[in-house]
Amino acid sequence: MRDCAVGGRDAREERSRFPYMTFTGAIGAACMFPLRAIIQACVSLRIHPNVLTLVGVVINFIAAWFFAHGEFVTAGFVMLVANIFDFIDGKVAETTNLASRFGGFWDSVMDRFSDLSLFVGVIYLYAQLGRADYVMIAALAMMFSVMTSYTRARAESMIDQCKVGFMERPERIVLVMIGAFTNRMGAVLWVILLLSVVTVLDRIYYTWQALKTQEAEAS
Amino acid sequence: MSGKNPLTLPARTIWHALFWTFDRATWQYDLMVIAILAFVWLTPPDWLGDPTASGPGLIGIVLGWLQ
Repeated sequence: MRDCAVGGRDAREERSRFPYMTFTGAIGAACMFPLRAIIQACVSLRIHPNVLTLVGVVINFIAAWFFAHGEFVTAGFVMLVANIFDFIDGKVAETTNLASRFGGFWDSVMDRFSDLSLFVGVIYLYAQLGRADYVMIAALAMMFSVMTSYTRARAESMIDQCKVGFMERPERIVLVMIGAFTNRMGAVLWVILLLSVVTVLDRIYYTWQALKTQEAEAS
Repeated sequence: MSGKNPLTLPARTIWHALFWTFDRATWQYDLMVIAILAFVWLTPPDWLGDPTASGPGLIGIVLGWLQ
């Protein structure tokens, strides 16, 4: 999750126009306090960021196992730990000057394994419960989650940036954790599915428009 | 914010909600998060046929009182 820092240029411009802090910004800022200490510890211990990424995936597999067995709260806590590793790997890479193109590639690939494993865990649970409807909802949510990442990656091989649409990976992760902790996984899956569909459509539309503009400028 | 056509504001709101270009930690992002959390926590799980959720949810509790 090396590209998911809270904020950005647009956010900074927005904040300069509205000088109060948003509540999601405040939550992000509060979470950064313990994370800074963990990042510093990893830097001091000289842990390679690619190892942190791998550890994050392995812990996510454990979370998926708990989901598959219906132990949502435990799965939520395990996910929390996994995503600390997932979040800090990029920061550690920057701090230790170990950021590399392979690190970015490795991170993206491992992120997909993490995402898919969690959905597989939930799908297994619903299959065990004999709920074909929710197997389908979770499977479609999984499909569109992957397509959300794929459309951006493919678009950015042709255009500068394709960062439109709400339901990106950090939003999905936080929603699944909320679903796990508050036992509302059904509603969370519906939200992930619907907003992922919209996000994929946003990215297709945005890329189509951007390529049309590029072609018009070239001719 | 054209005052000429009052229909443009809701239409633009829906367009911006669907074609999302806002960054994180903006007030628009906060509104979207509130809407999502409201749906997740307030909707009675029975309405969605949630196989694992327990409890009626806030809307279910209010409807129970009203009945």
